[in-house]
Amino acid sequence: MATNTQHFQKTSFLSFSRIGVIASHTFTQLVRMKVFYFLVVFVILLWAAKQIILPNQTGGDGSPEQELRLLKSTGFAAMNMFSMLLALSATALLIPKDIEDRTIYTILCKPVPRLDYLLGKLLGVLVLIFVSLVAMDLVLSFFLHQKASGMIALQTEQLVARGTPQEVINEQLAGLKAHGLTINIHFATIAIFLKAIVIASIALLISTFSSSTLFTLILTLIIIVIGLIQADAREYATMMAQFGEQNKLSNISLGVAIFFPDLQFLSIEDGVIDGRNVPMSIMLQISMVAILYFAIYVVLSWFAFRKKEF
Amino acid sequence: MSESSKMKSESKPAFAVEIRNLVKTYRSSFKRETFRAVDDVSLSIAAGEVYGLIGPNGSGKSTTMKALLGLVAPTSGICNVFGCDARRVDARSEIGFLPENPYFYKHQTAAETLKFYGKLCGIRGKELKNRVDELLDLVSLNHARNRRLNGYSKGMLQRVGLAQALIQNPKLLVLDEPTAGVDPIGSREIRDLIFRLKEDGVTIFLCSHLLEQVQEVCDRVGIIFEGQMVNEGTLEELTSIESQHELVIENADDSLLESITELVKQHSSSGAKLVSSGKPRSSLEKLFIETANSRIKNSKENK
Repeated sequence: MATNTQHFQKTSFLSFSRIGVIASHTFTQLVRMKVFYFLVVFVILLWAAKQIILPNQTGGDGSPEQELRLLKSTGFAAMNMFSMLLALSATALLIPKDIEDRTIYTILCKPVPRLDYLLGKLLGVLVLIFVSLVAMDLVLSFFLHQKASGMIALQTEQLVARGTPQEVINEQLAGLKAHGLTINIHFATIAIFLKAIVIASIALLISTFSSSTLFTLILTLIIIVIGLIQADAREYATMMAQFGEQNKLSNISLGVAIFFPDLQFLSIEDGVIDGRNVPMSIMLQISMVAILYFAIYVVLSWFAFRKKEF
Repeated sequence: MSESSKMKSESKPAFAVEIRNLVKTYRSSFKRETFRAVDDVSLSIAAGEVYGLIGPNGSGKSTTMKALLGLVAPTSGICNVFGCDARRVDARSEIGFLPENPYFYKHQTAAETLKFYGKLCGIRGKELKNRVDELLDLVSLNHARNRRLNGYSKGMLQRVGLAQALIQNPKLLVLDEPTAGVDPIGSREIRDLIFRLKEDGVTIFLCSHLLEQVQEVCDRVGIIFEGQMVNEGTLEELTSIESQHELVIENADDSLLESITELVKQHSSSGAKLVSSGKPRSSLEKLFIETANSRIKNSKENK
């Protein structure tokens, strides 16, 4: 066919400014849904966890690390729950709602490539999760620092009163400091965010071909559960194989590993709760894996969405 | 920047819209049955023309529009906008679309909504601000510009829809039931706006169930039924009865009317006959608008 087109503004395949417009709009949309109220609940929860004094601590002879562990595990559990819920529900809801309300017509009828629309929506959700996690990280850091420094001061006072040498005091406090506010807390927050990125991109992929929000939510939830337990299944299958028992489970777990994300691999919070250090190499590894999952799911979403009819 | 670069022009297209042998078939969930929503529809709209597509529900009007907007892919056939394939994103830089009963993001105000759509079209800064002000004035929503859309009436939402469709100064405006749910005054304002846009050279493609309105604003009309274009032409071609003539006389007394009736009888041998006579009626819409306007004027005077 002859291309006797008149002057048309060429629309670039990918425009960061357009993606930014959609992302900031999605962010505002979610903020106005009052999702940040969760932060108030988070502050109350951590404040309550900070007040808890375990029975074996009252005499001051037990392991004070337990209380810090409790504070950290409460904080990370709440952060995980919030980011997972938001990544799942917000992403699963946004596109089907736009289709249902027909707002998608008015957007896609502007010079907006579908990839820009998808990325904008996804980034809007991710920015919201990021901002929330940063806020929660600050709250956790504040409470943890307060509790740990209080404990360190008390322990130092008790040990000095007993006439303990400085080297012994330093040695005893090192364990407590490792459970206090360290860079590992922030690394764990980053890992939670990486998990949220993967979950949100799975929800995005499913919402591009699903016709109902409920179906998207349920299917994404199933994938999350598979993602959280698949490492255990794989380990079990490997162990069975070592004993020469090649059963169906080995094959299934191998298949699952190919098609579903390993969310357990991205979880480093347990180690941080136990006061262990997170090497930079692990952070790099999990970041690469999360980005790879993100890229795969976004490309698949785009393939499903680019020819979708409304 | 590549976005602002212009595509090379080869020649000026003859039509703003060109749809040739458009077929759109849908398959059922399990692909057992097929349904032909649009069946070999062809139409063309010249630049600056107002074209109305009418037909009953489910006749294929919206599908034809969606194909033109790239929201559905034709099974076969061609849809061009100013010579550019409608499936290309580029084509949409010249199209403004108002869907039937548009819903917008309720958390936004009218001004925010227009800014959002303007930014999607690459408009920024002072240009965007001026354009938003201009459009809010045009659709008479300046008084409610900072109110969230969840407090808007259906008619107000329709006007926001129209403003967003016009945000990038499109050369083609596609309106799907532009006056659905709008009161007669709002409906008339939209009609007047269509006339104004036509004067500015904007091509308008509209679907409506309100035939009287289509008749008022459209240069040409297409009638679509069960996915097929069954009739198309100018209003004069479609609606005039070639064998009849209408005279409207002001201040005629009874004797003049009797004389005219007598004259027609004298020519009865040539087949001429008086079919009907009487006083022309004002439309109910006109009566409603006159009453409403006079009430508004009175209440303003009383204040």
